[in-house]
Amino acid sequence: MSAQATSRQLILDRVRSASGSARGNGDAYAGLPRNYIRKGSLGAEARLGLMIERLREYDAEVVECAPRELPAAIAAQLTRSGRHSFVAPAGLPAEWRAAGFDWKIDSGLATGEIEAAEGVVTAAFCGVADSGTIVLHHTAQEGRRIATLLPDFHLCILFASQVVETLPEYFSRCEQAPPLVTWISGPSATADIEMTRIKGVHGPRFLAVILVRDQI
Amino acid sequence: MSHAASHAVLDPVFAQPFPQAALPVLRNPQLRKNVAHAIDVIQAKRAKLVAEKTDWKELRDAASEIRAHALENLGEYLEQFETNCTAAGGTVHWARDAAEARRIIADILRQENAKEVIKIKTMTSTEIQLNPALEALGVSVYETDLAEIILQLGGDEPSHIVVPALHVNRSQVREIFARRMGIKDLSDDPHALTAAARNYLRQKFLTIPTAIGGANFLIAETGAVAVVESEGNGRMCLTLPRTMITLAGIEKVLPRLADLEVMLQVLARSATGERMNPYTSLWTGVTAGDGPQSFHVVLLDNGRSPMLRHKVERQTLKCIRCAACINACPVYRQTGGHAYGSVYPGPIGAILTPQLMHLEHAQSLPYASSLCGACYEVCPVKINIPEVLIELRAQVTDRERKEAERFFDPLYLGLRAANLIFSRAWLFTMAQWWGRLGLRFFTRKDGWIHSLPGVGGRWTMTRDLRGLPDQTFRQWWAARAKEAR
Repeated sequence: MSAQATSRQLILDRVRSASGSARGNGDAYAGLPRNYIRKGSLGAEARLGLMIERLREYDAEVVECAPRELPAAIAAQLTRSGRHSFVAPAGLPAEWRAAGFDWKIDSGLATGEIEAAEGVVTAAFCGVADSGTIVLHHTAQEGRRIATLLPDFHLCILFASQVVETLPEYFSRCEQAPPLVTWISGPSATADIEMTRIKGVHGPRFLAVILVRDQI
Repeated sequence: MSHAASHAVLDPVFAQPFPQAALPVLRNPQLRKNVAHAIDVIQAKRAKLVAEKTDWKELRDAASEIRAHALENLGEYLEQFETNCTAAGGTVHWARDAAEARRIIADILRQENAKEVIKIKTMTSTEIQLNPALEALGVSVYETDLAEIILQLGGDEPSHIVVPALHVNRSQVREIFARRMGIKDLSDDPHALTAAARNYLRQKFLTIPTAIGGANFLIAETGAVAVVESEGNGRMCLTLPRTMITLAGIEKVLPRLADLEVMLQVLARSATGERMNPYTSLWTGVTAGDGPQSFHVVLLDNGRSPMLRHKVERQTLKCIRCAACINACPVYRQTGGHAYGSVYPGPIGAILTPQLMHLEHAQSLPYASSLCGACYEVCPVKINIPEVLIELRAQVTDRERKEAERFFDPLYLGLRAANLIFSRAWLFTMAQWWGRLGLRFFTRKDGWIHSLPGVGGRWTMTRDLRGLPDQTFRQWWAARAKEAR
């Protein structure tokens, strides 16, 4: 046996002999107490209001629009950002790529090309109002992880129907376990020096959100 | 002014006993001020955000039970994690101790021909002394968490597990960065210092193809790994390199993905007083076209498995490293983290370190507590730290007891005498009488005893003792009963 196989067996043996017999654990797991809040109590408007409030507390810029106004709202936000070159995930709807800006479509862009871009526009999987969290599953619309990491400005399109109140509600929306997830709660930050909160260390320093009022 | 303290690498094997190790800090007002300030800020934020959570108690119950359940079935969940992570393209390694973990990581780096690595903050890597081992092999290690950069460039060691450089203030950071990054006109404004770190690291993130990090959670159900952070350095290390190596203690497993709905809610609130930390990343093995295409997990035992044996000690492994107990501890507040001689300071360190050392070192740590219970009260997974401390104190005492020489041991003789006296009323009354008579010689006019000889001097060395009153309670009670009649 290789050293690795020996260590594996040794550790598992130690663990098993220490914690008792290796019995089925399904029933025990099902019996764990889960009396915390698993479903929010806010109405639709209050839920969206909370999401917007939390995002603004993180200094994210938030605007709202109707579904048909979305392309115009995107163009307005990009203009306001003062930036010109943007990364678009491969699956981003074509009508979201506002005219008059440089778009690099990420079907395997090199790191350097993404680093050179000034911003990125993506969709999202979910928004959690309680903590103002945006959840990305990095699908073709939401972009590879690198696309929402290197550019300094992230414009995220979030639909009202994607906003839940509590974190457990997000998990119950995951029908299959997503292999990649990034939970974003405000722009990157540090408080390592005298607990002074500084925005923008390595990730995007500017986060803007368009909340699209689709059906809720 | 250099803060690069004279203490060596944090290693419980060579650390001084806690009371001695704490002395330099107690004599350093700047350090104590830095620690107290940071602790006050986090504590206030935590208290506010825990109070707003109406289901905090229920979340805490669930978090505690999920962690306890994971540990009770650890073997099964570890195997599940291994199977699922491997199926997703990851490679799982098992390390029985620190030396084996270092060897495994060194082997991977050799295969990758890696001369440089970028690192996400991982206390587990400090536990196994990874950086010095890699440097000795000629690998340059770049820490990427702001606090870790401050420590690495300053030749310092972490004093806290969440904010490791909380003992360093802005002017000290300015001095370290100016000197080590060669920046002439650097101000001590935290914005400028953070920007300096960003510039220092950007090229490293973009060019160094190998990263090492820790794990906050391993998900048995899917084989995924989760990392919780604030700055984005973690995301950089998890996304840009070709190869990612995760070092994780075997206790980090959660049964299912959805258990994060509890853990993420309690972790950020407890750790930094935020509703949610800015970035949490989860990945499962290797994803084609996105992130590192080679992924290794090193599962580390290093003294953990024996802790599973008994229910009291097993609680230690429920820890999710939020540091709420450290921030709440009145002892830590005075001594800071270095006094604990281990990467894990504070109450959790006082129970974790001695057990990782199989009680062969760090025996003074279970005594580094007043047993006030503040740590238990704030712990999001309900580790009864005072209970574990008392159990470990008993074990330390058992180890130190020398059966054959016990009749020469004043403590043993004293306790035997006390046992005898307390079990007989007439002996107790007599002992009180003698004691009062004896102490009268040492009681000053102000009614206080300022110094005692012999063993008693250990008490009066740091505080005065009130002289015994003229009447004992039992005398007063008897007199009162007589009067009533």
